[in-house]
Amino acid sequence: MRKIIAIAWKDALINFASPSSLLFFFVLPVVFTFIIGGGFGGATASQDTRAKLLVVDQAGTASSQQLIDLLGQSTALSIEPMPWAEANATFDADDAPALLIIPAGFNSTAMISGTAQLQLKQQPNNLDAVLIERTLNTTASQITSAIAAAQTAVAEAERIRPFTSPAERQAYFDAALKHTTQLLAQAPSRLNVTKPSQIAPDFNPAAQASAGQLITWVFIPLLGISAMFAYERRNGTLRRVLTTPASRAQLLLGTIFGQFVTALVQMGLLIGFGAVVMRLNWGQSPLALIVLLSSFALAGVSLGTMLGTFVRSEGQANGLSILLGQVMALLGGCWYPLELFPAPVRTVVQVLPTTWAMQGLSNVLQLGAELPAVLPNIAVLLGFAAVFFVIGVARFRFE
Amino acid sequence: MQKLLSIALKDLKVAFRDRAGLILMLLAPMALIIGMGVISGRFSSSGSGAGISDIPIVIVNQDEGQLGQALVDVFYSPDLVDLIAPITTTVVETARQQVSDNTATAAVIIPAGFTASIIPETALTATSFQTPTVISIELQTNPTRATSAEVVRSIILEFLARVETNQVGGQVTFEQLLTQKLVRPADIPALARDFGTRMDAGANASASTTITIEHMTNNDAPPAPFDVLALLAPGMALLFLMYTVTRGGAQLLAERDAGTLGRMLISPASSAQILGGKVAGIFLTALAQVVILIVVSTLLFNLHWGDWRGLILLLPAVAAAATGWGFLIASFVKTPQQAGSIGAAVMLLFGILGGSFGTNVPITGFLDTLSKITPNAWGIQGFTALGNGGNVTQIMPNLLALCIIAMVTFGMASLLFRRGNLIKK
Repeated sequence: MRKIIAIAWKDALINFASPSSLLFFFVLPVVFTFIIGGGFGGATASQDTRAKLLVVDQAGTASSQQLIDLLGQSTALSIEPMPWAEANATFDADDAPALLIIPAGFNSTAMISGTAQLQLKQQPNNLDAVLIERTLNTTASQITSAIAAAQTAVAEAERIRPFTSPAERQAYFDAALKHTTQLLAQAPSRLNVTKPSQIAPDFNPAAQASAGQLITWVFIPLLGISAMFAYERRNGTLRRVLTTPASRAQLLLGTIFGQFVTALVQMGLLIGFGAVVMRLNWGQSPLALIVLLSSFALAGVSLGTMLGTFVRSEGQANGLSILLGQVMALLGGCWYPLELFPAPVRTVVQVLPTTWAMQGLSNVLQLGAELPAVLPNIAVLLGFAAVFFVIGVARFRFE
Repeated sequence: MQKLLSIALKDLKVAFRDRAGLILMLLAPMALIIGMGVISGRFSSSGSGAGISDIPIVIVNQDEGQLGQALVDVFYSPDLVDLIAPITTTVVETARQQVSDNTATAAVIIPAGFTASIIPETALTATSFQTPTVISIELQTNPTRATSAEVVRSIILEFLARVETNQVGGQVTFEQLLTQKLVRPADIPALARDFGTRMDAGANASASTTITIEHMTNNDAPPAPFDVLALLAPGMALLFLMYTVTRGGAQLLAERDAGTLGRMLISPASSAQILGGKVAGIFLTALAQVVILIVVSTLLFNLHWGDWRGLILLLPAVAAAATGWGFLIASFVKTPQQAGSIGAAVMLLFGILGGSFGTNVPITGFLDTLSKITPNAWGIQGFTALGNGGNVTQIMPNLLALCIIAMVTFGMASLLFRRGNLIKK
């Protein structure tokens, strides 16, 4: 055991020989977590991050005002009414994702006759513009529903007794529309949104960022063990170790143990940062968290060991570690939640250790899952570790 | 000039012969672009660019009336067959457990009496319209699947809005009839039954209204479909461009340490020619990298990069600004290892600040201001503008900013990297 610890300590000294190692060990992961989690002012800050919709009301009717009011009730949009010239200049300067023009003549009569029209100018390939378009469609549908209800009231009255004049018919329609609008505005909420348990928080982008960045930044150095093997092979130190009383197994275990412990320390620091600075509740299920992180570290370091037997040079190993680490983190749901992936992709990415680690961490952090709930994730990660390790040891060569 | 170009072309060849370097210069950005295309559904058969599908939900319908069943039917409707993957159970706890176990996005629990709370039997006989006790649908959402839970919520809200409108429509119809004394209170029950039958048969179809929404872009052209790759590909190209230039800076220092720069000083080339050649080599490598990424992504993914005149101006401007940063880093660090580490850190920081990691990263306020020093921010903005149909005039501010970055960084680096730095002391 002493030899294994000595080898692990030697590797730690090599890893942290330069102060710049700390950049990748702690500084950059923390900066990325903080930025992506909205720590500098994003979704969690008081700053207005709603999609900005410029509105030019050329109609000035009750219907146009109703449309603007309803759009203003959306929590996702920030409505900015302004004159046409100013709005056009703002839109052309790319300072707003969309511009809504309500042309003259936009009123209930036009809606009934089917000639009501809105003009929506959208910045191309812009997600906020897509969101605005969807909200506008929903709002337009709300307005037309109220008008349809008022039309129905008029039709029912007409069935019983025809109106004596168009004016009387219009007055009946206006009264019905006003009443409908009032009742709809006073309608009670018939949907109660709840969460799974008292300890489960609402969605917090910082939680996804903290878990996702932790996996990304720990996984890449774990794969980087391949570069360490390549470095030692190139310098002949692996062969030299053979002349010492340390066995091949002790050498391998020492190197792996060193990386494993380093990863645990790094994860501990990142979790501490998440808990203290970002106020994330990482401590709901400590046992589940420790076992899960240890399994993930073993899977990562074993994959690195296996990778080390396929590469020829340090440069190749470094490049492949970053490439595989980033791609596996991306596909494992560390950058974007898995729920956004198409269903077949969600199935295929189950072959990646990052997917199981990310799911397990999300369950612990956001759902307060205990050890039994994340046992499948732990078992799969340990399975990955076993397979990668066996392949790595079988292919391992000293020169 | 010939000597400078010879040195630059030699370095370009060396860069593209290094297989390990090519992994990060070309393979990594292409792999990440493909990865983002895969997760966003860009390569799916629909090609809609919207990846969300098959949202697993559990429905418990305890309502005895038609509205509860109508909501269940909505989730099983052909319109939502790709979006929602519903299952039904009769046990509320089972539904909740599936959300807790993270196997379902949401549990939709329709309680007993839901229909009656909206369409009470007594309403048919009442002469005034009393508001019945509100019974709400429960939606238990999974906080780890916030986006798809929001989709489920919006479907229920849309359903409830329709129900509410119909209910209010009926109420207004009869209240108006009573107010205008067109019917007697005693006639209401029979009229309501007749009204309900006709509404179920679609008699109100003639009362449908529409608002047409005309879509335009800033060129007053019809908008192109949303393409997530067009949004992300420039970011990836710029991210790994920064890798190339910082690696070039590290190699410059490695050559100094190995003595090859010093040996070159005894050749007829001046120190300015040698240094200029080395920097031009980094510039050409960076330019070649982005050109290759653009050509390959155009051929493989049919990506539209826009006006070629704009590209011809933007590509060298981006490469020059990035090279300036690479040269500046090399000028103030002492060893190639430091250049490699700090360069990689700068590449990642510029990437996240400049928008290379996608639009969901909140870069606002101070960070937005800070991002203006990165070639990534100006470059991505320029490429996006061109891809969206912009022209040279529209990217002039970007070209200007990139040129200023290049001039300032080259100027500072030249001051720091004096002749003496060509030889290791």
